[in-house]
Amino acid sequence: MIGVYVHIPYCLKKCRYCDFCSIPVDETAGRYRAALETEIALSGAKYPGERVKTVFFGGGTPTVLPAEDLCAILGAIRNTFAVEPDAEISIECNPKTIGFNGLKRLFDAGFNRLSIGLQATQNDLLSRIGRVHTYEEFLVTYAAARDAGFTNINVDLMHGLPGQGQADYLDAIRTVAALEPTHISAYSLILEEETPLYDDVMHGRETLPDADAVADMEDAGMDLLDALGYRRYEVSNFAMSGFECRHNLIYWHNEPYLGLGVAAHSSMVEDGFWVRFSNERSIPAYLKKIGKGKLPRAERIITNTFEQMFESVMLGLRLVKGIDRAAFSDRFGCDVIETYRSAYDKNDRYGFWDHSDPDFLRLNRIGMDHLDSVLRDFRERRLIDFLR
Amino acid sequence: MNFDPNLIRNFSIIAHIDHGKSTLADRMMELTDTVAKRDMEEQLLDSMDIERERGITIKASAVRMFYHHTDGKTYMFNLIDTPGHVDFNYEVSRALAACEGAVLVVDATQGIEAQTLANVYLAVDNGLEVLPVVNKVDLPSAEPERVIHEIEDVIGIPAEDAPCISAKTGQNVGEVLARIVDAVPAPTGDPDAPLKALIFDCFYDNYKGALSYVRVFDGTVKAGTRIRSMATGNEFDVTEVGVFAPTWKPVDSLTAGEVGYVAASIKSVAETKVGDTITEANRPAKEALPGYKQANSMVFCGVYPADGAHYDDLKEALDKLKLNDASLSYEHETSAALGYGFRCGFLGLLHMEIITERLEREFDLDLVTTAPSVVYHVYTLDGRKLVIDNPTNLPNAAEIDYMEEPIVKATIMTPSEYVGSIMELCQNNRGTFIDMQYIEADRVNLHYVLPLNEIIYDFFDSLKSRSRGYASFDYELSGYARSELVRLDFLLNGEMCDALSTIVHKDRAYAKGRAVAEKLKDVIPRQQFEIPVQAAIGSKIIARETVKAVRKDVLAKCYGGDITRKKKLLEKQKEGKKRMRQVGSVAVPSDAFMSVLRING
Repeated sequence: MIGVYVHIPYCLKKCRYCDFCSIPVDETAGRYRAALETEIALSGAKYPGERVKTVFFGGGTPTVLPAEDLCAILGAIRNTFAVEPDAEISIECNPKTIGFNGLKRLFDAGFNRLSIGLQATQNDLLSRIGRVHTYEEFLVTYAAARDAGFTNINVDLMHGLPGQGQADYLDAIRTVAALEPTHISAYSLILEEETPLYDDVMHGRETLPDADAVADMEDAGMDLLDALGYRRYEVSNFAMSGFECRHNLIYWHNEPYLGLGVAAHSSMVEDGFWVRFSNERSIPAYLKKIGKGKLPRAERIITNTFEQMFESVMLGLRLVKGIDRAAFSDRFGCDVIETYRSAYDKNDRYGFWDHSDPDFLRLNRIGMDHLDSVLRDFRERRLIDFLR
Repeated sequence: MNFDPNLIRNFSIIAHIDHGKSTLADRMMELTDTVAKRDMEEQLLDSMDIERERGITIKASAVRMFYHHTDGKTYMFNLIDTPGHVDFNYEVSRALAACEGAVLVVDATQGIEAQTLANVYLAVDNGLEVLPVVNKVDLPSAEPERVIHEIEDVIGIPAEDAPCISAKTGQNVGEVLARIVDAVPAPTGDPDAPLKALIFDCFYDNYKGALSYVRVFDGTVKAGTRIRSMATGNEFDVTEVGVFAPTWKPVDSLTAGEVGYVAASIKSVAETKVGDTITEANRPAKEALPGYKQANSMVFCGVYPADGAHYDDLKEALDKLKLNDASLSYEHETSAALGYGFRCGFLGLLHMEIITERLEREFDLDLVTTAPSVVYHVYTLDGRKLVIDNPTNLPNAAEIDYMEEPIVKATIMTPSEYVGSIMELCQNNRGTFIDMQYIEADRVNLHYVLPLNEIIYDFFDSLKSRSRGYASFDYELSGYARSELVRLDFLLNGEMCDALSTIVHKDRAYAKGRAVAEKLKDVIPRQQFEIPVQAAIGSKIIARETVKAVRKDVLAKCYGGDITRKKKLLEKQKEGKKRMRQVGSVAVPSDAFMSVLRING
């Protein structure tokens, strides 16, 4: 059972902080659907009859393509793979890119989860980060989604934005929670190199809240989300009980997934080997390989057991629930704590573990704040020692 | 057949850094056809990268040139190069002792600097004739008349007909050569007397072993001569003698008055001591040439590999540097914070910086250096005298009767507008004012007595910044003085970090403790937990700062496409961590140990 990810690399306009693979809609968009359909057919030949439990259309902004194209792509996936009847089928959208009719078409075609990019409820903050929509336009999209039949909806919010204070962020959470989406993703802004925002900050044209202020915002946000009924289940993800994103859980459980489209990444089992591969990062290169009837692979690496173990830790510790020790030993034949004993002990001295359930290796809230340093300690474990 | 000693001229060039010594030497070599212009590496006398970058000469060398004078005769010029920094004062004095004259180069846009003055005095003390030359007259800001006056006023030698030259363009350099013939006396000496040759520098060559650069005063030395060091009594058989013209060129012999090198299969330059006199083993001279001194380390610091696994590499690198630098000393030491390393002794601060830089650059080592220390004399209550160059070894305060610290006499030359600020700096560094002379209406020469330990951290930098780079500085050790000293320790997360300990004057301890704790707070990166940084004298805490814990060290987003990238990022962060030293539970950046002591005075 795998998850399928479909990357739609187009946006109305790229946001100032974004370093994802996305470009403003251009003439290639018209050929992209056909290219994806070819890639699906080629993948179907490679992984015949593969069962699919989740599908996720991400971007970019998938909804800048006509709903008809999106439905056709989903149809191609259904025709090629064995998509489970209860599969979670998500699609990301941004306000202003789709209306009621389009949303209705998506819902009727089987999309059953919608993720809306909002980021903030204050229009001045939205324009400062280069979002093309207002809060009011978000409300229109949200209402249309409800009317179209979507009941499982995520809203993305961000903190640490230029000009954002804690009150702004908490207001945004309260305002959004009042709409009762089933899921809220709450990200801290990551200042990525090679983005307009990065340049602005480096040249002093824009300032970000300092790290302590961002940490305060994040902590207060988590408390508020919890109080409003959104349980944190991953570093940046909060959901009403039972509405955790099943597709994203595939990543964090280090399970196989197939990525389709430009720049998409995959992790699949091929002939008993775990393989990570990625597609061509540029649209022309992607279209060219597809045009020749070839899978558009750019990189491919076989992940050995040792690396898989580390990846399982790296991803699993992002979950509030932590790593299921029994599942870990079933997969790798060793206990996660024993395997990483010295890293475990060191971080135990820091008091980072949550010991409430001995069946799970689980960070507490402070520990999760230090996840990267915990992972650096786990990374100290070397393959050579493991083999001994 | 020997060269007529009456036609030999042995001289040095004295100049401040950047005043054009090397350029002038290059022009001289071109004009005498010692080296063709096209073969000329820029500034031939400075051979090492670091020397070039800093515009200074570390190791003296000597070049032989033949000059065809207007009188129709051909003269042998031996240009003996001198190191240009205060730390190498003794080497300079020996190089000068090998000469009969010195060309004093003064920058027409700058005037005389403290360093130049010190070296001119050395030359005069050694009985040299000084030929002043005004350089850089091609620059628009040149003021040759003013500089000529300054030379006459400050040094007290006639300079009205000093050649005004531009070493850069070659203007008037020929006149300098001609004037050397007249101004510099020919060497005297008896070629038939027992050998007396002064070692004024040495150099290690992988094939020939340690080479001594010598000036022969009496007698003759050639391959096969059995020589004896008059300082150590060691004897060697000479395998080769030669000259530099401008690279190695073996010759049959070196005779009274001549300058060249002697090779004798000597394993290390440590056995060829600068200032030593070489004589014949079979027919020794009665007495050595005067002025020999054992070079003593004045400044010490701990040098550790940033990665403990590279201890052996560091040892090997030090061994290699030592081959060529007898003034470098080192011995193994162990630090609780830094592990295995070496206590290294240097002639001074610049010497220390050059060596550590060479270790890092030429041997590709990542180093942690601790704060420099001077050598203290500690008198204990039970009547012992201890010599302490590492603060860690200082006995308990309760066992100490009293302590002494090294004192220097400092000469500072500065435009008069900065005098106030510089006096304040000296005062802040426990200086005692001696006197002040006006060299000119707007330039003064200040004399201070200062404790050496006050000038080894950042005195020179502060001096430069307070005078906008115009003040120059020279010092010489003038003995030891009793002083109220204490050891200042630093604790990180409650654990003492021995590598940060330092000995300071009692009255300065509080300010220093506070300043260093503050600096440590800034340079120690936030970690998973809060870190108290404390300064202590004995068991008494005198300052405290806190490095707050990291609040968030977690990537907000990690989905399917981020996994490979995320792993790479973790690897990169791990590499960054390797440049840190683990002091107890605290990761400290390697450069913190040194940087914290650069507290602006």
